[in-house]
Amino acid sequence: MEEQTLQAQKQYPRFTPTERFEHILLIVTFVGLSLTGLPQKYAAEDWAKTMINLMGGVESIRIVHRILATILMAESIYHGGIITYKLYVLGRRASMLPGIRDLRDVIQWITFNLGWSRSHPHLPRYNFGEKAEYLAVVWGTVVMIITGFMMWNPITTSTVLPGEVIPAARVAHGNEALLAVLSILIWHMYNVHVRRFNRSMFTGKLSREAMIEEHAAELETIEKGELPPGRPPQVIERRKRRFWPYAIIMTIILVGGLIRFLTVEQTAITTIPRQLSVVGGPLLVSADNGQADQGATLWQTLECKTCHGENAESGDMTMNVILAGTKISFEAFVGAVRRGPADMHPFSADQITDEQLAHLYAWLRTLER
Amino acid sequence: MTRNDRLICLFFAIGGLFILAGVALAFNMSPVLAQDSPTPTAVAQNNVTPTGDDSYCLVCHAQPSQTYTLADGSIFDIAVNPDTIASSVHGTQNESGKLGCTDCHGENIFPHTQPLPISSRAYTVQQSALVCVDCHQDQTSELVDSVHDNALAAGNLSAATCVDCHGAHDVQPPDVSHQTTALTCGNCHVSVFQEYEHSVHGEALFDGDENVPTCVDCHGVHGIQNPTTALFRNRSPELCADCHADVELMAQYDITTNVFESYLTDFHGQTVALFEQQDPNVPTNKAVCIDCHGVHDIGRTDENTSRVVRENLLETCQQCHPGASSNFPDSWVGHFPPTAESHPLLFIVTLFYNILIPVTVGGFILLVATDVFRRIRERLGRKDA
Repeated sequence: MEEQTLQAQKQYPRFTPTERFEHILLIVTFVGLSLTGLPQKYAAEDWAKTMINLMGGVESIRIVHRILATILMAESIYHGGIITYKLYVLGRRASMLPGIRDLRDVIQWITFNLGWSRSHPHLPRYNFGEKAEYLAVVWGTVVMIITGFMMWNPITTSTVLPGEVIPAARVAHGNEALLAVLSILIWHMYNVHVRRFNRSMFTGKLSREAMIEEHAAELETIEKGELPPGRPPQVIERRKRRFWPYAIIMTIILVGGLIRFLTVEQTAITTIPRQLSVVGGPLLVSADNGQADQGATLWQTLECKTCHGENAESGDMTMNVILAGTKISFEAFVGAVRRGPADMHPFSADQITDEQLAHLYAWLRTLER
Repeated sequence: MTRNDRLICLFFAIGGLFILAGVALAFNMSPVLAQDSPTPTAVAQNNVTPTGDDSYCLVCHAQPSQTYTLADGSIFDIAVNPDTIASSVHGTQNESGKLGCTDCHGENIFPHTQPLPISSRAYTVQQSALVCVDCHQDQTSELVDSVHDNALAAGNLSAATCVDCHGAHDVQPPDVSHQTTALTCGNCHVSVFQEYEHSVHGEALFDGDENVPTCVDCHGVHGIQNPTTALFRNRSPELCADCHADVELMAQYDITTNVFESYLTDFHGQTVALFEQQDPNVPTNKAVCIDCHGVHDIGRTDENTSRVVRENLLETCQQCHPGASSNFPDSWVGHFPPTAESHPLLFIVTLFYNILIPVTVGGFILLVATDVFRRIRERLGRKDA
């Protein structure tokens, strides 16, 4: 009896400290990326606007989003390395890979749940639910990194790919995020928080009861002592010697790639400020550009004299205005010519340029009234 | 008549007119009449009783070609044509009676004792500020903190004051034609006007279309704000949307009203809208309508010269994205909803997720449901047993 109680209280090792640390990184980045990302997908909604404002505005959350994305990418590089180490150096089984067995397990689990079959499937170290989640994280992260790169570096992307991939990446990024968040909220929450609060990701251990239900096949192997023997130390040593140069080179390449990702172009973060078009009253040509002698010539060649008189002394004809020694501003002068006040014919910039008007104005100002 | 006699006559004439005008004013303000005559936008908030009679002043000032050369060399023209005033809004058509010289210029018996102004312009600016406000408080209060008012306050005498736009003795009703409005602004804002008159809006305006925006539709009338601020820029898409999202108005031109909505779903529009929502005074470098379409020189979008047709779009993008390649402009989906033909990749990706998300999420929900089902059954079974 006592032995049974002891047996029931027995805890089985499940996750190493580094694995648990990776999981914490994943929690922080996933939650942070969702909180800063989804409101951008739904920016037109009021709840999204409220969230964005609470977090300090859209530019702030974009910076936070990029920092978290960078951490997640770095973690992905680390994870790739550690997986390679476990598989290649330590010779562990790739227990996360799905197989026919998982399909059988799902079917048996469903039929058991529905009462059609008598026994719960005996599940391996990583059961079908966990494999689905892990592979979803891998798939999701890859999609997010690729589509994130496209949005982060749209100019670089469109030098190689058609421009249309950028809005497509935006659609994929947002939808993939929605898929990930919904999956976590439904599948992950139910399996490790609602159905049973599974603390193994934080304590590293799992109770016997949980092991029976979720990893019966693994428990049997452990209890029968049938765990595959570890690699002989000399093999591990030999493989380590091969692994490290490879790992260092890959790390350099991947971290270099990551830095390139972050820095290849600035446009997404600091687009050059928009040049304002010329606004306000001033003409591009100023009165100071005018030369009186050129103005005198233009007065003749442009036939101003015909109506305004040889010396702009006002005409005896229709233009009863003394232009000689005019006191109006250059702007008003140009405006008058362009408008054509009273009986005067208006002249566009194609007919008399602003420069020519500056010359004419300069000449008129030299005349005695 | 001695000079004293003349003064007494004048006194009685003015007094009589005051009484007459007072009666007219009281009549005018009776509620029945007020209902019958809808208030025009620029009506004066009357507290001046017009004197109307200008004969005293016109003895001298009706003489043509009387000018003084002032200290700064400017010509101070003191001649006035009585017909000009009579045919202005302040003339015979004025509801509360024709204004007289002294209503604006004050009592000023000859010989005039006050010194000549320093410059003609200084006199205009000073008089505008003092005189027009007497009757037009609403309009002058709108001017407070406007660009022109601020420039005048900062000592820039070239900035527009009342009479520069409305005229002095020849003031005409301000709502005559939109063309007049544009031309009036163009008197000073020459370069802007030159851009505008050849724009899609300007050309339509001068073809007689009164629906198109002129200067005041975007910039306002008296309370014109600085259009170079972040605030103006962040809000500018809404300004364009005022007309371009108006289904009835756009139907006349066969222009899609989807432009604003599609802009808001795009990355640029989404960001600008968020900025506008959070703090409209924070500058954003994301494109607004005018960055691609132009400001005063907005052109038709179907002309070869348009900066937004595909052939010219790269150059437009490069204004903000200098390194953009020829593929880059295709990342802008456009103002029309994307279709399978126009954007196959976008369509496929959207379709993919429209299937993947419900299938995956639905699958998870079903799986969870079977587990919940078993647990409930087990619990009930245990109770039964």
